[in-house]
Amino acid sequence: MGDHCEQAMRKLSVYIDRELSDAEVRRVKAHLDDCPPCEKVFDFQAEMKRLVRKECCTDDAPARLRDWVRQLATENPPARDREV
Amino acid sequence: MSSDFSLFERHVDALYRSALRLTRKPEDAEDLVQETYLRAYRYRNRFKPGTNEKAWLFTIMTNVFRNRLRQRPAPTEPLDQPGTDFSIYDQLRREGMPVHLMSPEEIIVERGFGDEVKHALEELPLPMRMVVVLVDVEDFSYKEVASILGIKIGTVMSRLHRGRQALQKKLWEYSGRPRARPVAVGAN
Repeated sequence: MGDHCEQAMRKLSVYIDRELSDAEVRRVKAHLDDCPPCEKVFDFQAEMKRLVRKECCTDDAPARLRDWVRQLATENPPARDREV
Repeated sequence: MSSDFSLFERHVDALYRSALRLTRKPEDAEDLVQETYLRAYRYRNRFKPGTNEKAWLFTIMTNVFRNRLRQRPAPTEPLDQPGTDFSIYDQLRREGMPVHLMSPEEIIVERGFGDEVKHALEELPLPMRMVVVLVDVEDFSYKEVASILGIKIGTVMSRLHRGRQALQKKLWEYSGRPRARPVAVGAN
């Protein structure tokens, strides 16, 4: 692994989290375009991030909790002592 | 005032799914979300209109959650362990799987890494779990997470880094013993 690869790898997380400056993004992208092995690693980690999000977004709030929150938003004052 | 509060209503699913990852139990998650909304209601005048209401709600929820944990001894934060680098990708490559010829989706599906994500996440130590949930699931920026949890951005990044590695390690363990394959010398 060359110096450029090591430099890119250090930025892997911040890159896939979109926390790099535009200039740094361009630098990392330029390396990835030249280096398929690094590009594969980056693609895999980005996919892992998407996977975590996808898998965890399947749990919606139960209907009664949703209703309770809606009541809180519309009623004044909230039915605090009764409901909790 | 009540019309202002309805702004917060739309985040109930996000709060609930995160509460579920933190508490691991549907009843506790529901309870945590209720208390979060009650506090948000009580302190609604402290919310600055135009700022990020989702981050505000998550700040309340993580505070409520941490207060509830106070009874138990606080988990000590493990120090950075530079020697524990782990990634599924490297592991598969070492095992000889032709990862360079496969798409990330193929790798994940073939080994069933997707099936245990929630379980693996819930096994992570809480400080790491919170950061992974807030960044990867709820899409908060590092800066927002630092503000929500009251920690430094550098701490967010190191917990995220360690959390993701620990998550992959768990997924790797759950996916069963890797099959031994010859490693082609010189392969990518």
